[in-house]
Amino acid sequence: MAVERMKIVSIIGKLSDLDKISRLIVMSGSTHVMNALSELNSNNINLSASQEHMQALQELAHLGPYIVRRDLSKDEIMIKAFQELFSLKLEICEKYLSIGDEYENITSDLRKVHEGVSNISGGIGEKTANIERLQRYLENVGYLRNTSLKIEELKNMRFIRFRLLMLSNDNFKKLELNIENVPSVVFRVAAIDRNIVIAALTPEDLGEEAERIFASLNYKELELPDGYNGNALDITKRLQREIDKERSLVDELKASVLELREKYKDDVVKAYTLLELEKKAEKVKQDAALGHNMFFIFGFVPDSELDGISNKIQQNFSDSIVLMADNVEDRRHGHAPPTKIKNNILVRPFETLISMYGTPSYGEKDPTPFFAISYMLLFGAMFGDLGQGLIILLGGLFMSYKMKNKSFGGILARLGASSMLFGALYGSIFGSEELIEPLLIRPMANINTMLIAAIVLGMILITISYIYSLLNHYSSRNVEEGLFGREGLVGFLFFLTLVYTVWGKATSHLAVSIGLPIGIMAALLVVMVFKQPLAGLLTGHKLYEESPGDYYIEAGFGVIETVLSVASNIISFIRVGAFALNHVGLYVAFATMAEMLNSKVGGIIVLVIGNIIIIGLEGLIVFIQSLRLEYYELFSKYYSGYGVEYRPIGLFNEANTDG
Amino acid sequence: MDNVTRFAAVNAKIKTMEGQFLKDEDYASLLKLESSTEVARYLKEKSAYSEVLASVAAEDVHRGMLENLIKQNMVKSIDKIIHYFTGDYKDFIKTLYAKYEIEELKAIARAVYNGQDAGDFKSSTFIGKYSKLDTNKVFEAKHVRDIIAALEGSEFYKFLEPLVDGNFTENLFRFEMVLDMSYYTILQREWSKLSKRDMEILQHAQGIIADLLNIQWVYRGKKFYKLSPEELLNYTININYRLDFNLLKSLCYAQNLEEFFRLVKTTKYSFMFKEDETTDIYMERRMERHIYFELKALVRNYNLSIISAFAFIIFLEYEVKDIISIVEAIRYKIPAEEAHKYIVRKL
Repeated sequence: MAVERMKIVSIIGKLSDLDKISRLIVMSGSTHVMNALSELNSNNINLSASQEHMQALQELAHLGPYIVRRDLSKDEIMIKAFQELFSLKLEICEKYLSIGDEYENITSDLRKVHEGVSNISGGIGEKTANIERLQRYLENVGYLRNTSLKIEELKNMRFIRFRLLMLSNDNFKKLELNIENVPSVVFRVAAIDRNIVIAALTPEDLGEEAERIFASLNYKELELPDGYNGNALDITKRLQREIDKERSLVDELKASVLELREKYKDDVVKAYTLLELEKKAEKVKQDAALGHNMFFIFGFVPDSELDGISNKIQQNFSDSIVLMADNVEDRRHGHAPPTKIKNNILVRPFETLISMYGTPSYGEKDPTPFFAISYMLLFGAMFGDLGQGLIILLGGLFMSYKMKNKSFGGILARLGASSMLFGALYGSIFGSEELIEPLLIRPMANINTMLIAAIVLGMILITISYIYSLLNHYSSRNVEEGLFGREGLVGFLFFLTLVYTVWGKATSHLAVSIGLPIGIMAALLVVMVFKQPLAGLLTGHKLYEESPGDYYIEAGFGVIETVLSVASNIISFIRVGAFALNHVGLYVAFATMAEMLNSKVGGIIVLVIGNIIIIGLEGLIVFIQSLRLEYYELFSKYYSGYGVEYRPIGLFNEANTDG
Repeated sequence: MDNVTRFAAVNAKIKTMEGQFLKDEDYASLLKLESSTEVARYLKEKSAYSEVLASVAAEDVHRGMLENLIKQNMVKSIDKIIHYFTGDYKDFIKTLYAKYEIEELKAIARAVYNGQDAGDFKSSTFIGKYSKLDTNKVFEAKHVRDIIAALEGSEFYKFLEPLVDGNFTENLFRFEMVLDMSYYTILQREWSKLSKRDMEILQHAQGIIADLLNIQWVYRGKKFYKLSPEELLNYTININYRLDFNLLKSLCYAQNLEEFFRLVKTTKYSFMFKEDETTDIYMERRMERHIYFELKALVRNYNLSIISAFAFIIFLEYEVKDIISIVEAIRYKIPAEEAHKYIVRKL
């Protein structure tokens, strides 16, 4: 339920081990790699000057980046070709993973197979092209099926040339309008799409002239096959037979591909697996710093995974590789540690909504649990309905299991459940308030109670936000903001006093005269104005970080904003009550329309449509309004979201990031 | 969708963009300049072309480069217009790119045919704008047939396909003609998807343009190329406004140029021919000026219609042509009072 602790890991070893260690890092999948050169520039490396470290210390003087660019694209193309030919679904197969140098062997083996295989696929391509050509003939001959003349004779007439041409509609029209000047007899044979097929008979003597005219009409000649005797019907049959023959040849070739597939399938998968490993390992290497003999790799590793990784290194390399783990708190400069948040199944989907705002900083408390609970609460309170909630719940479950959208589906399912809970409390099912008795309250009958309850809920949530803020400031030891700031202790006291005063005034329960709380609030505001010099006095740092004039102008406006925002933050929560009422109101409108129809079937249809609109439209609005309350009213109190997401390099890391 | 929602915003945008056209004073100043560098500097400092010229120093701009840069401005403006339309209207405006892309494809084909390197055309502005193709293949072409192969997968390819089978001998001429004809086929297909009113307006506007082009084509075919009447007729554009098919056909079948001129005299387009030696030199400019004023009138008459966008793009084209003419006039040292006869804008 929190942000996981991180360790900084430095891995130092001989260049000859670089390939293996980077594969190992990828396979372990838990190292968030940093650029080693920039890390070495900003932080001193803690190597004791012992004998075993001497070499590494000497290397520090001449480090450079990894500049070899290995070209893996050829292998990738080859594996892709295999994949297509064998129609394989390539997946990384864990059993083939190893840190050894097998990659080159397996790819060079496959390359030999590839030549043979590409011959076969070339053969298939050739045959398929031939089939296409025969089919074209078949089509062309088909245009002549109404004549019993022999095709061969038509083609070889002595004085007259017979041609089958295709023209566009527009050009055919031009030909028609000028036919008296064309030295050919033209028959319209067929129309396909926007084109016309014609048969043209031209005396040989006028062939050239006709050719120029037809060329200017951009004709496409439909070829008739040579060497086939008989009329269109006979030729069609023969062509069909030839096509069948070619097809069976293609099938044979495909069968031989299948044989090869069985034989080499595993090799291809293995090559693919190792290729993926190699690609990722290259990425690790690109962030390494290299000396003449040694390499340096730096990264963040979660506490819980550190042992695993160091054991693996120990097993594989015994002592030739130095692995050091330092606490992130010990370093002052350089990259902020990445944040890995870990939450239980109930609240995990909500991490998506958090990261839409920002990733928590490493030192910050993970806001997910509070966010999740308050978000469900707010959504449910605004959209309380047993029936509609059930539909949202089912929709969410459908999304997460059928459409594999775990994070959003999960959120919807949880919101639906919360909506059902509040539906039971409000006694509302598919908008109707007549079917069941409420367990708690009828919103429409108790408007004032609803609105006041909403504000009270808001105050509770704001109070929790203040507590989160205090904890965050405490853990970062921020005196200025934590004690005297707007979201710190002074701000919190101001908020409490204001709430107490307003409550006391409204219910005439104020135990003291009004002057006292107002005085306290004024004093607190004054403290807030002087927060920086006060903090400076306490910690012994300098009083102002900028010029005092600028500081007081800013602080002065800060006070005004504090007063305004405390009030507006609280009042903002009134919308929770208002939307709960709105939800009923919308249904009432549809119910009235249904009644006006005077027909039972019509009424039911209107109610169904009404429910769909309410779920779609109001569901969306409430979803957004809750998000707005979270982001604006609550996050502004305690959450910065400036963190860096923990992205370890690993074989599956892209695939594994769904909630 | 009614015309107000469809055209109000885009026409307002067009009006502001028209405000950025070069003024008559700009033309006068440009004609007085003495080198293409000066033209580039003037355009960079004092016109809407400053945006496309911003990244280059006026000193480094040579003629061909300037041409491509100011064409970039056309692309920018047309893209802005496209942005305002949706659906079939968006597609229609995109189709207008085809005309300019075809012009550039033809130029490349001519160069390749004459043994030049297609790579010199790499900075061509419009290649790929309509066809949406991988343009590198076009610039690697060694023969006209390579260009056709490079166009595979584009709209143009199915028109060019008949050229692939066999007769390669004279295919530069057919390549150019087929591409030109394809534009009108595509154009008509696209405008038939627009509203009836817009389609009729476009038929009117394009009809006038096609009338002029057809007359010019038949005239040139007769005078220079000695083509047969059938071929002449087959290569005419099948859009018309004042020139009906029979008249066009009799123009094609005119026995000689005298008969041809006599026939043209009966039409509104007799202004194209002056029957002296200036006919051929100024014909293009006469046609363009005529189109310019006809389009202006159409824009005035048909408020809230597609014609504003259609005409604007042609006006943009004319401005680009004028700038190129001015640069050429400067290069060939033609005095300003002579040079203005070659530009579309009437000064």
